[in-house]
Amino acid sequence: MNAAAFVEQAAQALTAGIMVGCVYGLLCVGLAFIFGIMRVINFAQGDFMMVGMYLAFYLATHVLGTTLLGDATPFVAAALTVPVLFIVGGGLHRLLIARTTGLRGVGLSAEGHQAQLILTLGIALVLQNGALILLGTSPHTVLTTLSSSAWELPLLYDDFSAVFINQARAIAAVLSVGVAFGLFLLVARTRLGKSLRAAADNPEAATYMGIDVDRAHRIAFAIGTAVAGLAGGIIVAYYPVQPFVGVDFIIIMYAGVVLGGMGSISGAFWGGMVIGLVQQLSTLVMPLQLQNAAIFAAFVLILLFRPQGLFGRNVERA
Amino acid sequence: MTISRRHLGTLTAAAGLGLAAPALRAQTREVVFAMASPLSGPWARLGELSVLGARFAVDEINNTGGIRTLGGAQVRLATVDVGDSPEKAKTAAERLLSQEPQLVGGAGAYVSSFTLAVTEVTERARVPWLTLSYSDLITNRGFRYVYQTSPTADEQAAGALPTIIELARAATGRAPQTMGIVMDNTASPVSFTRGLRAGGAERLGIRIVVDETFTPPLSDAGPVMQRVRAARPDILLLLPTAIPDIKLTLEKINEIGLGRGRLPIINNGGPMGSPDLLRLLGPNLLEGAMFITATWGLKGQEELIARFREKTGEPWMTQDSISNYGHMMILREAVERAGTTDREKVNDTIRALDLTEGPAANAYPGRRVKFDERGRRVGAPLVIAQWQNGVPVTIFPTESAMAQPNWPRR
Repeated sequence: MNAAAFVEQAAQALTAGIMVGCVYGLLCVGLAFIFGIMRVINFAQGDFMMVGMYLAFYLATHVLGTTLLGDATPFVAAALTVPVLFIVGGGLHRLLIARTTGLRGVGLSAEGHQAQLILTLGIALVLQNGALILLGTSPHTVLTTLSSSAWELPLLYDDFSAVFINQARAIAAVLSVGVAFGLFLLVARTRLGKSLRAAADNPEAATYMGIDVDRAHRIAFAIGTAVAGLAGGIIVAYYPVQPFVGVDFIIIMYAGVVLGGMGSISGAFWGGMVIGLVQQLSTLVMPLQLQNAAIFAAFVLILLFRPQGLFGRNVERA
Repeated sequence: MTISRRHLGTLTAAAGLGLAAPALRAQTREVVFAMASPLSGPWARLGELSVLGARFAVDEINNTGGIRTLGGAQVRLATVDVGDSPEKAKTAAERLLSQEPQLVGGAGAYVSSFTLAVTEVTERARVPWLTLSYSDLITNRGFRYVYQTSPTADEQAAGALPTIIELARAATGRAPQTMGIVMDNTASPVSFTRGLRAGGAERLGIRIVVDETFTPPLSDAGPVMQRVRAARPDILLLLPTAIPDIKLTLEKINEIGLGRGRLPIINNGGPMGSPDLLRLLGPNLLEGAMFITATWGLKGQEELIARFREKTGEPWMTQDSISNYGHMMILREAVERAGTTDREKVNDTIRALDLTEGPAANAYPGRRVKFDERGRRVGAPLVIAQWQNGVPVTIFPTESAMAQPNWPRR
């Protein structure tokens, strides 16, 4: 391969890595609220994303229609999934998750982690198979011109070389960064964020300080669910949804959260970004089929040198 | 009235038969055929289309009197989800055999690597098994109970390129000189391209200028398609097997300015003709895309397709539906001729079949069902279909074609 071709491919892989990484980052931020703050291993996170994808698809095609809003339809539909998934997440926490987390979890074996595992796995199976029964196996997507159109950025060294930026993915990436930044501010700068962090760090101590830990966890779970739904709504603009689509994303979400550092919202975003970049840039030096293997090679390497993750802190608990 | 000893013997035998007949009928009131296909995961929709074809055949069998030699026994279709991996497929096959001890024969499991796993189990249980999967490995293992109704991947690869070259030459006046390959690493495309890489393409005067293999699902087709753009082959073998990957790659081809017929695209297998693709991509992005397949809507099948459309609401009959319709009809024919549900005898009957008419033979191009010693259908020709005006139509072989080929021009 000549130098010009390599530069073009590297630029394309970098662009793809950033765009994929931004969306992975948002997915990881959603999981960080649940896994990072509540320490709940949520196997259903990918399936909340799937629910968001279906919801956005039905809103876009059956409620909004593409004539009024044009190519903005899938993204407006994605925004509309947020309140629905927030309520679903809050309801699930109140009815099920709360029985195994927070102060109630302290009294269970392994601090409730085993019960949480089984519970969230059960929710995941119900959502997957429920979607299969109710919605069928046909893949769906919101059909717009954005997913097959690109902005072409010519590379200046010749007339042919160019980088193509997919319009749907570019918009998805920008929205993902915006939402992730907003959530970072929510956790870092607001009273609600302070209570979430306190409930995450030490639920018992937070209770003594007058914080309602169950409420904080319920809000964290609802936000995490809503963010997964929003990310799903954004993704369905360029990637088809079917009942098992979440399985392809869940491992990436966990890898991103651990890579970024448990409990860190910004860390989770950058963890997702690193995974997107490694996944795409690895194709320059490794066979394409090892794309996902490269993610876990990088994951192991990073944790070897920074076991607390990229943005995690080493905390000695008394 | 006196009854002679001989008459007494005859009467006793008749009475015995009279008593035995209901018992025999009771034993064979139901004949169980199986359909193993992926009903979850990325291949779920294609598995569903397979089941639709098999169920359509079973309904037709039952509505036309069932298995006549078994007193009109009705056929029951047992379906099983093989999931999204060979491991799950193997477990599903084991579950099927334990849940259906009366199973006579079956078909599946769509993805070649799943079929390889499933048939490891069915062969040990001596269950006759029919498949549309392409991989040569399926019938290269010396198995006695496995039958492949499609031309194998090697046969398709050997036949496809010369056919494609001829189509190109007829349309443009020149044969393609260079080729690109973009594929996933499932067994069928691996098998399909092995011969091409091992000198098959070169012998036909075609140089492979880009060759990329990915593990499904793709997260972004950008980097891989950028390499296609840089190499700019005369034709592109685009061989993903999962619908999301087909969508991503075709959209990317359009993005980089090679879509809508500018780069001739040839896929291998039925997913490229799935009705879902039309919904996911729209007709413009699919126009001109060709695919090599085991069977597709052929001249002479118009009535069958019309009945299927009416029954299922599907816009056309895909390879998955037609092939598995045919598989059930082959099993019916074998049980009918064997006059028993004994798997060994049914298997012997399938081995000896040579059908040139009837629903089983009419389901396949070449209109003949006869298997060679390895279990491959004799004379199974490849079929090429092409998206034209939002519908995938058969363009080769010429005698079965529903439309003229429309070779893309740059």
